[in-house]
Amino acid sequence: MSSVTRKGSGRGVASRIWSERWAYLFLLPTLLLFGAYTVWPIISSLYYSMLDWNGLGSERQFIGLANYREAFGDPLFWKSLGITLTIIGVTVPLRVGLSLLVALVLNNPRLPLAKLFRTALFVPAVTTTAIIGIVMGFIFDPSGGPVNQVLLDLGIVDQPIDFLGDPGTSLWTVMGVHMWKWFGITLVYWLAALQTIPTTVYEAARTDGAGSWAALRHVTVPMLKPFLIIIVLLTAIETMQIFDLVLTMTNGGPFFSTLATEVYIYQQAFANSTPRLGYGAALGVLFGLVTLVFAAIQAIGIRYANRARSSS
Amino acid sequence: MTTFGRRRFFGLSGAALAGALGVAGCTRTSQQEAATAAGGGVIRWWDHFQPLKPLNERIFAEYGKANPGVRVEHEVYNPNEMGQALQLAFKSNQIADVHSIAGLGSSEASLVVGGWFSPLAGQDAIRAKLPADSLLEGLHVFDGKLYSFPIFSARQYTTLNWFNRELVEKAGGDPDNGPATWDEFRSLAARITKDGGGRAYGWIQGLQFHERLQSHVIELATSAGAPLAMAQGDNTMGLVDPRTGEYAYAGEPFVQALEFLLSLVRDKVVFPASTSLDARTARARWATGVAGMFFDGSWSIGVVNGQFKQFIDKVGVGPIPSPDGKPVLYGAPASGQLFVSSQSKHVETASDLLARFTGPEFSKGLATFMDQVPLDLEAVAMAEVHPSYKRAAELFGQTVRLAPSPIARNPAVAQVMSEMKAPRPTLGEITQGILSGELTDIRKALREYNGKLTAERERATRVVSGKGVKVSLDDWKFPNWQPGKDYTAEMYQ
Repeated sequence: MSSVTRKGSGRGVASRIWSERWAYLFLLPTLLLFGAYTVWPIISSLYYSMLDWNGLGSERQFIGLANYREAFGDPLFWKSLGITLTIIGVTVPLRVGLSLLVALVLNNPRLPLAKLFRTALFVPAVTTTAIIGIVMGFIFDPSGGPVNQVLLDLGIVDQPIDFLGDPGTSLWTVMGVHMWKWFGITLVYWLAALQTIPTTVYEAARTDGAGSWAALRHVTVPMLKPFLIIIVLLTAIETMQIFDLVLTMTNGGPFFSTLATEVYIYQQAFANSTPRLGYGAALGVLFGLVTLVFAAIQAIGIRYANRARSSS
Repeated sequence: MTTFGRRRFFGLSGAALAGALGVAGCTRTSQQEAATAAGGGVIRWWDHFQPLKPLNERIFAEYGKANPGVRVEHEVYNPNEMGQALQLAFKSNQIADVHSIAGLGSSEASLVVGGWFSPLAGQDAIRAKLPADSLLEGLHVFDGKLYSFPIFSARQYTTLNWFNRELVEKAGGDPDNGPATWDEFRSLAARITKDGGGRAYGWIQGLQFHERLQSHVIELATSAGAPLAMAQGDNTMGLVDPRTGEYAYAGEPFVQALEFLLSLVRDKVVFPASTSLDARTARARWATGVAGMFFDGSWSIGVVNGQFKQFIDKVGVGPIPSPDGKPVLYGAPASGQLFVSSQSKHVETASDLLARFTGPEFSKGLATFMDQVPLDLEAVAMAEVHPSYKRAAELFGQTVRLAPSPIARNPAVAQVMSEMKAPRPTLGEITQGILSGELTDIRKALREYNGKLTAERERATRVVSGKGVKVSLDDWKFPNWQPGKDYTAEMYQ
């Protein structure tokens, strides 16, 4: 009896696939590309992470979890993780908070030139990061760079500041540029969130005698709360991908002061005098797990946000 | 009017494509056959010497003229990508007849054992055109057979003191030789900075490029008396005190070299943006006249000639500054650059062509590119090059001695070095840390680095000898080495 059922259900699956063949056919390119560029790199990274391999030679020795054991005892890996988390901890709240304030201003339909301001703030987000990194090197140049020139001319400093060459200032400078570069993206998130608040709610609030401040406090902010979680998490995950900016601005230096985890992985896998692709892959997998934690929090956050929105 | 259906269109397109491929294939094959029939053939040649491309192609053309029917297909690779290309080509039996080994990450000895190369044909003729001390068993010669030879000199270093003659002269320095000692360098740098009034500084360097910075520290320490045996390769793992076979980074010369560099930072004579510059950008800034002195290799004048011609008349060069003004440096025996593949069907022709990369004429041609100095340093004096390049070659000849090489002693040392994982921070990164003020205890930092290297070498030696390879820490000791003298081929016996 059961075999008949299995047989019957097997036919059912085959015939279902056949009847939906066009849907599967159209899905095929996506599945192939996703498999080739997402699934396969993940699987191969896991495999490489268990090899002692420089990435080029034919000599590759399977060493199990030795690379992971080494990573747990590698002070530079932990330092780089600390730097990445510091960048997230500092820039995400600032970016989210400041962009909310600017979004509230720009969302005012009576503000003149609002579109121009929006565009101006968004332009850095669509500019190539590597180019920004290189240009910022000139802008913060202690020898004739415009930032130092202004500081000197205004008498704020009497000696130029080596923004990118001093370990005390380099990380802050990179964080500042990163915030400026991606500010427009967070701003767009907030502007989109603000568009979801029905104007009727504001009209009702005004009818009840609410002024601008009261409307902001009792209408806008409560209705934006669910978006806050999503925007914070999206911004945090974006911030983890700071590789190109750091590489072009400081290359992780001076003396590891801006060594974000992605840069450290790159150095180990490709840029060291003795490249170690296997070890770099292990670091990549561990960093992937950290990203995964953020992604899991994001998923939970989205669920919470949806629930909050539907209850409001 | 003719109309095409979908099937007809695909059918015709397919036929056209197949035809085109067939014609292309036939053309290529017929060319190769014609060349082979003429007694030659197509020699495929891969290297990574982009700046030397015109010289190489001139030699290929001359060879083709003298040997009708022989044609060279030359491809210049990016060094970073070459290793992968070579691996794939070797595995699929498609490797070039002649190739360099950039990016393979394996020693010449292990590649010979792996069956990559063919011994050169006409060995005696090639040997006759090379200086006797340039060939070593374990580096170029294996089991008595010659596999390759160096084209660049072992007698060179990267810490020549290139300077702006105008600024040096204005500050009261010697515009022909520059400063000789560390004290002279320091005071001249201070005077240039003072005269510059914020527009020019004493010294500029690409301090962000820690690998190059490391080379400068090693050479400054050597000029201060650090004795060094050198395994091939641009890293610190192969440099030891030849008398003991131990790493020498915790010794006084390295401490002094770092203190000298730190004194320049403390004197505020370093061009302020140096911390964010690499060698290339530092050279470009130096050529604008913002700094007096700049450490660089012999190729510096070649780059100035190619990219900053308006600056070339202001350029002077002097020796690496040293504590007493009498530096002695050491150079690892120069490796072979080009090899004939074991898969080549034209070993004789390829070897014959390779032989054109030896001798004074080739060295003279090589010198005209003002890059790394050629094997025959004396040929530079006869070449039409900038006087500073001639002076650089002269300084190398006077100052650099051949260091003993543990790899030439026992090629298995290369396996130990491949097994070793470079400890971090590296010497270059430690230098960055010291100059930026992040590391304050120089001796402690160097002691720790030396200890990590020693432990790592012991581990790697255990691993390699555990595989049955005959190698030990004694391979790094050269009791017959004498400071200030060449370590010649006979001394390995």
